Order: sequence, then C-alpha cells, then structure tokens
Amino acid sequence: MKKLAIISVPLVLLLLVVSSYLALAVAPTEATMGDVQRIFYYHVSSGWVGMFCFFINFVASIWYLWKRSPASDALAVASAEVGVVFCAVLLILGTLWARPVWGIWWTWDARLTTTLVLWLIYVSYLVLRRFSAGGQTQVLAAAFAVFGFADVPIVYMSIRWFRTQHPSPVIGGGEGSGMAPGIAHVFLATLAIFTVLGILYIWLRYKLETAEQALESAHAQAALKGVSQ
Amino acid sequence: MSSIGFLKIAYILAWVVYVGYLGRILLRMKKVEEEMKELERGK
Repeated sequence: MKKLAIISVPLVLLLLVVSSYLALAVAPTEATMGDVQRIFYYHVSSGWVGMFCFFINFVASIWYLWKRSPASDALAVASAEVGVVFCAVLLILGTLWARPVWGIWWTWDARLTTTLVLWLIYVSYLVLRRFSAGGQTQVLAAAFAVFGFADVPIVYMSIRWFRTQHPSPVIGGGEGSGMAPGIAHVFLATLAIFTVLGILYIWLRYKLETAEQALESAHAQAALKGVSQ
Repeated sequence: MSSIGFLKIAYILAWVVYVGYLGRILLRMKKVEEEMKELERGK
C-alpha cells in the first residue's frame, strides 16, 4: 500500500496541477463566455474519461461472460466505479457552467438527460454488485453492463440527433464546428492528462478489487477449515 | 455570484472529488492489507 501511495499521490497531484495550470493560466480567454468557459477543459475531459471507463467495463463484461475470468470481473467493477466518479464530475461541472451561461442549473434536454441516465445506470450496476447475494451476481452485473453500455452512443449522438440547449459538437460536428488553435492545444493536452489520470485510477481500483477478492477467498478458506476441524 | 466564482467552485469541487477518491481507494487498500495480515496471523 505504501508503495502505491508513494507512486499515486504525487502523480495524481502533478496531473491535476498541470491540467489546472494549462486550463486556468495558459488557455486563452474565450471571446463570448469569458473566463467561465475554462470549465470546458475539465468538463469535457472528465466526460471523455467516463465514457472510456464505461467502454472498458463493456469489454471486460463481455470477456467475463465468455471466459468467467475473475480478473475481467475485477476490471469491470474498477472501470465502472472510476467511470461513475468522472461522470459525476462531468455532471457537476456542467451545472456550474450552465448557471452563469444559460441562467439555469439544469434542463431536461437530450444530452443532459441521457448523461444523467448513463450515470444512474452505472450507479445501479455498482449497487447491484454490492447488495445482491448469491453466486450469480457477477454474471447478472456483466449482462446488465453490456445492455447499459447502449446509452453511451446515445449520449454521444444526442447533440447530433436533437436540437438541444447543450452546444453542438465542437469536434466532428461538420461545417462550422471547431476550436481556436490556442483552445484546441490546451484541450488536447488536458484530454491526454485526464486519460492518464483515468488509467491510473482504473489500475489502482483494479489492484484494490483483486486484493478484496483474495481476502474474500482467504476468509472462505478459513471458514471451511474451521468447519472441517 | 460572478462567473469567476463558478469557475473557482468548479475546479475546487473537481479537485476535491479526484483527490478524495484517491484517498478512499488507498484507505480501503490499507484496510484490506491489515485484514489479510490479521487472517494470516490467526492461522
């Protein structure tokens, strides 16, 4: 644990300091919204990592259903939990950005609603894993995750399919979309930093999950030994 | 509140969530390791 803390604590702090510095000090001030637009860098990067985590959860769940490997189950839980955390930051920062720019905290438009539903799907996944008893929990959770992932492309496409309060896509949004070069450079750097941050959290959470699995099986073995003696 | 206020709160909250989550993982890891050691001592 000490080794993990020695590696992870300074690394996480470094990644957060560098990304905050880039977003708050290096990025140019956006002409229309002013300084509050700087929320964009953390908002979109958190969203990207959330979707990336749910994709890993989807792949790991399919792998678990196919091979019944405990490692893929541990990866599925780890990525779902990290995804929920990043998706929560996405939603919180979205409301904090919406209030000064739109004049409202929240609106039930397609992008916001599908993202909230996505977050609730993965919260339900974690609740299911924590509170369901019996030997089929992992299989049920994996099947749930495979279907739950269907909301990810809906979230992505929502601002393309519907006219929403949420802005149109700035990347891959067709003609008229795009960013000023200064904003784009900082955005790509923040995205890369957050990807490393997300992978680091998944790795840490995966280590924790495998340690918990080992503890659980050690408890079971100790209980069996106690019964047989 | 000014828009700078919203910006500050957004970054502070993001930091609190990310650092807090790291702390939670490390604390849980410590607890699991202690429990494992205790179990091995009991054998």
